[in-house]
Formats: sequence, structure tokens, C-alpha cells
Amino acid sequence: MSLSIAGMSWVTPLGSNVNDVWQRLVAGEAASIEILENEQNGARYLVRRVPATTMAHLPPHARLRRASAISRFAAAAGLAALAEAKTPPSLDRIALVFAISNGGVIYTRRFYAEIVKSGAQSASPLLFPETVFNAPASHLTAILEISGASYTVVGDGAVGILALKLADDLLASEDVDTCLVVAAEEIDSLVCEAYRQWRFLRDPKKPETGRGMIMSEGAGAVLLKRSNDGIEIDQIVPGANFFRRSEASARLGSVVSRLKNGIGFCVGSGNGTFIDRAERAAVGDEMPVYSPKIALGESVGASVFWQLITAAKALEAGTLPGSSKPPVDSRAVVLACGLNQQTGGLTLRRRVCPAFQGST
Amino acid sequence: MKSEGKTSRRVAIVAAGVVSPLGFGLTETLQSLRQARDCVTPVTAFSVEKTRCKTAAQIDDGRLLDQANRSRQSRRLHRASYMVMTALAELLERSRKFEPEIAIVGTTSGGMSFGENFYRSLGNGGARSAALIANYPPQKQIVDAMEKFGINAPAQVIANACASGTNAIGHAFNAIRTGRCHRILAGGYDALSELVFVGFDSLQAATPEKCRPFDSNRSGMVLGEGAALLALEEFESARSHGAEILGEITGYGISTDNHHLTQPNPDGSGPRRAMEQALAQAQLEPNQVGYINAHGTATVLNDTAEGKAIAELFGDVPVSSTKSMMGHSLGAAGAIEAVVSLLALQHQFLPPNINFREAELSLNIVANEARDAQFDCAISNSFGFGGTNATIVLRRFAR
Repeated sequence: MSLSIAGMSWVTPLGSNVNDVWQRLVAGEAASIEILENEQNGARYLVRRVPATTMAHLPPHARLRRASAISRFAAAAGLAALAEAKTPPSLDRIALVFAISNGGVIYTRRFYAEIVKSGAQSASPLLFPETVFNAPASHLTAILEISGASYTVVGDGAVGILALKLADDLLASEDVDTCLVVAAEEIDSLVCEAYRQWRFLRDPKKPETGRGMIMSEGAGAVLLKRSNDGIEIDQIVPGANFFRRSEASARLGSVVSRLKNGIGFCVGSGNGTFIDRAERAAVGDEMPVYSPKIALGESVGASVFWQLITAAKALEAGTLPGSSKPPVDSRAVVLACGLNQQTGGLTLRRRVCPAFQGST
Repeated sequence: MKSEGKTSRRVAIVAAGVVSPLGFGLTETLQSLRQARDCVTPVTAFSVEKTRCKTAAQIDDGRLLDQANRSRQSRRLHRASYMVMTALAELLERSRKFEPEIAIVGTTSGGMSFGENFYRSLGNGGARSAALIANYPPQKQIVDAMEKFGINAPAQVIANACASGTNAIGHAFNAIRTGRCHRILAGGYDALSELVFVGFDSLQAATPEKCRPFDSNRSGMVLGEGAALLALEEFESARSHGAEILGEITGYGISTDNHHLTQPNPDGSGPRRAMEQALAQAQLEPNQVGYINAHGTATVLNDTAEGKAIAELFGDVPVSSTKSMMGHSLGAAGAIEAVVSLLALQHQFLPPNINFREAELSLNIVANEARDAQFDCAISNSFGFGGTNATIVLRRFAR
């Protein structure tokens, strides 16, 4: 039995309604760019932020009172994906898998800044628990009252593939019927500075160039179950690691070669860095490729979920933003290449009702 | 997509590697456990002038860094990478042909001290620190180790706080049990860092005194560090190519306790559910378990909740927390304690719970000295922030 998407949602700098954001992507819109300044060294970064209005409808919960933006984004996306399910999943047989890369960096920076500035005795016991990678997942299990399996998976921009692989493995056991897979990130100047020093960021003086990435934030969530229905993930391939950037295209090529044939288009992870060329080399010149990061920015841990939802909508609509119409009966590949050695991919297809298929 | 339904395969441990304050490798670890060695010493890696707790169980850097070759690239790596390399070197020494399809490992903070150095360098107007950034992320350490030994497999890194290592081994076990994989490299790692040390100190979860798990006068945990890896393989496959089978994983339980972000429900229901699930999967009755390697952090809240669950479920089965000797190594703890439990099964002894003076709960604590014992099954518990609870069952392999 296949792995089908029973619900999906995202929180992006272009909004959080799946259809609205999709229409804006198709129309060629991009999220607005702001300047973020680093108080420590005065460096400036281009960023795409989630508008405050996007989170206005998040229901209050005690766990979110002190939580950082990352947990709020995750809660909003997770709740919306669950609400999409035709049948509410049983809380006894649902698992949560959470993908993350930079994690709760705002509180981590604040917590450590106090240690550096005022000494260890000033460190806040309220902030420390929020610095732990699985804090957002913990808030979400408390909000949703999930008491079974919960996993947080960490990695680079390809971590979403590894999280989906874990969910797929959980659903292969007899213990879990449904799996909510969520990913989230938040913007902070510390992370921006790290990528700037690593020479991956776009020059703030040249925002119009496509060279270098623009950091963003938000979340994505999919509710997965075993069934043959609607949009299906039919293969997940976590790729091998590349040890030098020059190896990235070969690793991605290996992922593509392990995925099934009949791929009509690719939703990739191109972000203005070496990844763009590596992906193009891996899929070949003929394959239509679209990266939502062009419009939404680089959300690292959350990015695979934005790609996945974009690919699902493209299959539904038979349209790929910025490209000619792809064949509706084809598979889509979601390809992921992180900045720090990880790769992976998956294929999606839209199951067409046999009666309908016969009539065409 | 492959769905294996109720297919259930046996899962063998065909090799292991470990480095912790107890020693480098299985032999030294075994000796330290038998000798009830207290590995806790004053912290030297950073200033503890303004913290309550001033001790931790640490791995000697001189010896650790000798394990790695000193190329320019490897000098830039985090010491957690060297820990993983040390554990992997031992594992591959024992099973040279082990080629995992995937690595599933746990950690909580990866190369955190590089992140701290990066932050401090910004405040000092320091030079570019790209090497710190590149080697800081939590997946980097396992990737470094696999690169060193030519293993080209994806790395799935689980960060479930202090349960990470046990979750990684448990999930790997399930992936093989259900036929999704045949060979998995599983384990965990974490290195001591200032941020985490101060964090536990700020919560007053770390003790300025001795670490006394399950003692009525316990006052908190002491941090540790290390890495441990297990080579897990589908049993029949391992046997068919003549692999040495050290033991088996036979059960895994996972639960989430939503009581509080950092505190367990005092009724012990979260740990109890994890232990019950693990026993059910292993098809064991509680009285068939001969040893419990407890999470046993020596915090008032953990030991009360865990102790209650163990007492209710297992009665007088022998229990110890080896964190009393080697500290709490967070994401590595579950993996190191799986190795400790494996050694206990192989060598038929009960590792001690040192610094124990006065019982509070009705538990059969293996107090202060190792004991010889005959038993076939052990369980290892790990619980963490976020309410994650994990238990694995290990079984002795008799040839």
C-alpha cells in the first residue's frame, strides 16, 4: 500500500493558505525582502519573514506562551494539516516526526549571550529548555495530545527527506496508522551571520542578482497514512553524503537514478548557491525544474516540505510555476541538497481513479 | 512503497564500539564497570567559577585526539567527531566488512562548543570562522566518521534530547525487524559544552555534590560525554556469513509524556508505557528480565518517576544507573548504556550504582559494587526533555 498525503499545510513568507500561496507562486510572485541587522557586528542580511498577520489565527495554548517563533510556526502548520484529514486520526495510533536544522536559535543565542555578557549565574532556566532541538516537537505533542512516538530529526536542508523516511518506516510497523510530519525554522541574525561567513548569502547591496541565498522562515506539515488515495509518495530515497561540493551532483544523480522512471518534472532545492548547478546536472537539461526557494527563500529544515507541497499542487493543477505544462499523468521528483553534505529525493504521483483512467 | 505488515525478523548486534569516561573501547569499559570506577572530575574545558556544579565526567583530550590522524582537515573537526571516529574504529575492527545501508544515531548538541566559539568570535570582532560553522551541525560528526572509514550511507540523526541514543537504536531495531533494512549503524554521541552545562546548572538539575541515583539524598546529575555505536544486522543474514553475534535487541518502546517540557509526570506513567511496550514486543514477562540499566539521572523528579514505574512493573529486579560512574552523556547516554547492558549480558554481571547510601524506593539497587549474576535479558531506559521516553530490551546470545 502506498503512502498518501491526507493533509498538508505550510506557513511561508507569502502566507499560510495552501491554495492562496500556490496561486501566488504560479503568478510569479515572490515574498517581500527585508533587511535584518546583526547587533553584534553590524552586518546586514536580506531575509524573507513570515508576516505577523499570518499567525493571527493560531489558537492560544499554555505551551505556546513562552515558546519561540519556530514552535508557533510548527503548531500552525501541524494543526492545519490535521484539520485537512477527512477522518480525524486516532490519537493512540498517530506519531509525530519533526524535521529541523537550525532549531530554536533565537532563544539559544539569547541564553548564551547572557552567559557571555553577565556570567553563568545569569543564565535563564526559562530559556534553556527552549534551546533543545525537540522543544518545538514537545509543544506540538502537548497541544495535539499525542502520547505515542515522537521523533525530532536534525540535519541540513535535506533533513526533510530523512524525516519522511523515518515516518515511512514508522508506518510500516503495526503500531502507527497515521504520521504527522512537521518541519519548522525561524530567522535569527546568528544563523544569517553563519551563512554569510560561509559565503552562501546574497549580497544585500545586490538583491536583484540570483547569486546567493536569502534566508527565510516558516513551517510545513504533511499528514501521512497508508492508502491508495489522492497524492501519493511512492518512493523516498535518502542519499549518500557528499564530502566535497564537487561531489554533490554525483550524489544527487545517484538519488535520481534510484527513483522510478516516468518523472515529468522536478521541484528542486536550488537557492542561488552551488546547489543550483548540482541539481541541474543531476536531472539533465530537459527536465523542467522549479525551486520554491526563489520566491519563498531558504528555510533550511522546512524547505523540503515547501517543495513537497509545491510538487503536490503542481500534480493536482497540471501546472508548474515558471514552466510549460507538465504531463498530468507523470510523477514529480522532489530533490533535496543541503549545504552541509546531505542529499535525498522522493517521488510523488497523483493516483487517478481507474474508471476515469479508462475513459481517457 | 514497501510495507512489511506483521513480518518480524530477529536483530543481531554483530559489533560495537565505545568511548566514554569509563574508557576507550569495550575492554576498558568492562574493567571500569567491574571496578565501580568514579570518573567524575573537575571541569577543565571552560570556566565553572560561577556555576553551582563544578564537575563532570570527561574524556581525556590528549588520548582522544591521538586516535585521529592529524591532517589539516581533521584538525578542524570537533572533538565529538573524534569520539564517533574512535567508536567506529573499534566497531569496524571487530566487523571489518560491515556496510550499513543507513546510520541512525542520536545526539543533542553535535559540535555545540564550535557554535559557542563562533558566537564569542563575533563579539570579539574576530576573523571569519567558516570552519567552526561547517563543523558545528549535529549531523557533521557522524558524517565525518563515516567519511574517514569510507562508509557512504545516509545519516538519520535523531535529537530526542536525553533519549536520543536509545531512540536511534530502537528505531534501527524496528527498521530491521520489519524488513525495511538489513544492516544499520546505530548509536549516539555528545560532547561536553558550556551552554549545556550552564543550562542544567541554571535548572538546578546538576549537583555540586556526588551523583547518587536513587539515593534518598540525591541532589542531581553530573554531565558526561562520549560516543557508542552498534552494528545491527538481520539475524539470519548475520549468521549466514558467520558474523560473531554479541547479543540481540528484542524489544523497543517509545512514549511521550506531555506533563511538562522538562519534568516527568510524577506518577511514572510515561516511562511505564515505554517499558511495557518494549516487554510486549520482546514477548517477555517482567520477571524474565535480569537487569535494568535505569535512566537514573539522580535528579529528584526523574528517579522518583522512573523508580515508581520500575518498582510497580518489575518488583525486585536488580537496577543500577551507571551514570553514577560516567555522568550523563545526553544523546550518547542511551547508546553507551546499551553497550554497558550488552557487556553485562555477555559477562554475566550487574554493573554498580555507585555513591549509593540510603534507599528511598523499594528497588533492588546494585549498590556500590558490581555483582555476578546469571540472566538472559536486560532492559535499558532513557528519558528526556520534551517528555520522550524510550526503552530497549537486549538478549544474551548463547552459541
